[in-house]
Amino acid sequence: MKICLLSWEFPPRIVGGIARHVFGLAKALAKDGHDVGVVTLDFPGAPDYEEIESFKIYRSKTEVGHPNFLVWAFLFNHFLEKRLATAERDFDFDLIHVHDWLAAPAGIGFKHFMNKPLICTMHSTEEGRSSLHHPDSYMIDGMEWWACYEAARIIVTSNSMKGEICNHFKMPGEDVDVIPNAIDVEKYNVDADRWAVRRRFGVGDHEKMVLFVGRLVPQKGVEYLIRAVPRIGWRFPDAKFVIVGEGWMRGHLEWLADRSGQHWRINFTGFISDDDLVALTKSADVMVVPSVYEPFGIVALEGMAAGVPVVVSQVGGLAEVVEHDKTGVYVYPRSVDSIAWGVERVLSDSGYRDWLVKNAYSTVQSRFSWQAVAKQTVEVYKRVLGEE
Amino acid sequence: MSRYPPVSPRPELPEEFRFLCMLHNVGAINAERSLKVEEIAKWTDKEVSTIGEFLRKLAELGYVQAVKSNGVKYHVSVAGIRKVLTLYS
Repeated sequence: MKICLLSWEFPPRIVGGIARHVFGLAKALAKDGHDVGVVTLDFPGAPDYEEIESFKIYRSKTEVGHPNFLVWAFLFNHFLEKRLATAERDFDFDLIHVHDWLAAPAGIGFKHFMNKPLICTMHSTEEGRSSLHHPDSYMIDGMEWWACYEAARIIVTSNSMKGEICNHFKMPGEDVDVIPNAIDVEKYNVDADRWAVRRRFGVGDHEKMVLFVGRLVPQKGVEYLIRAVPRIGWRFPDAKFVIVGEGWMRGHLEWLADRSGQHWRINFTGFISDDDLVALTKSADVMVVPSVYEPFGIVALEGMAAGVPVVVSQVGGLAEVVEHDKTGVYVYPRSVDSIAWGVERVLSDSGYRDWLVKNAYSTVQSRFSWQAVAKQTVEVYKRVLGEE
Repeated sequence: MSRYPPVSPRPELPEEFRFLCMLHNVGAINAERSLKVEEIAKWTDKEVSTIGEFLRKLAELGYVQAVKSNGVKYHVSVAGIRKVLTLYS
């Protein structure tokens, strides 16, 4: 099968989880013997064209810009469409698989021009991310509906997302396939000098490291973790908190840390490299995912694969990835007391922690491998192409 | 009395970061596509003095780089692009 994956982000252009998702899917599909081309946006230092892991990457330059985000998005879609045309000449692909609304106009246009089926993976919705608070949000919401409407089939990563798509966009449930996100477990089979890594991020040898990884935006709920720091610190005076990620809320969160009087316990690292992230995750004592909205929750899966116990909000896809008291601990979203309780539960009982880690690792291997996800995705492709 | 910090006001995105997004969106993302302050003012419809202040702050944070070529021009650094991308999602 000849497959074109279309996404506005792809490594090294990493915004959220989509870049890693498209990379993992492309690699697994190519490994299964399919011809795969990824069409995406450029990034300084990345070539316009390259072949890695047996698939092709076509990067598009955005030759005309605009200060307004939505206008800019429409402009880059025009250039993505031109790049799709060159990719199409290179290999006559059977279908286009677009990821989220940002690249949808290019995919939709190409579907109609070339008469190729369009499949759309919706990783989240604007309504879930921002509750449609601004005219731009309504525009994005409309674009998301349009992408779903034009797609021959819609893929989502959790049943919770399927509910959102069916309820909010009024899409028929039979058009929506649930295929979970996946993770490359091998990535975590590396030796990391745990103590050196911890020291590098400001955590002493006898201290407890509580880790958060994610974008610093409201939906990730990191402010509730920061509010829980005084209580966790009271119970565990040697607890240190490492907050990895960037986002527009960072200034506010640092202000909040100052106000708590506990900023000295908290290290805001900003963006760190993938290698550092793996080493840091493997070195943590507990990972907290306090999201208030989470269509899937890949970060929890990364913690589970790295052998660190996870404390997660019982919301959306997170509650489908993690099983309470078996592969992690659920806490109530937006609840400082509950987050503190969850962290304390894990840090205070090493036997329980080991039990969670063992169960979680085995679950990741059996349910969330890229091979399994690629196989399910190909089944969707076959259905669209009438090969089933 | 609550043991926790008071609920804080809803944070707003600082103006210099909005400006960083604009600079990114108009395409000033590498040395070849860097822009003079006057050109940036035209694109973003802002005062030259305001832009100078934004650029100074953003350069201190490592999000903007200056290039000397027929005068001084500015572009968003790789760290700046990453920052913009996190602001969009």
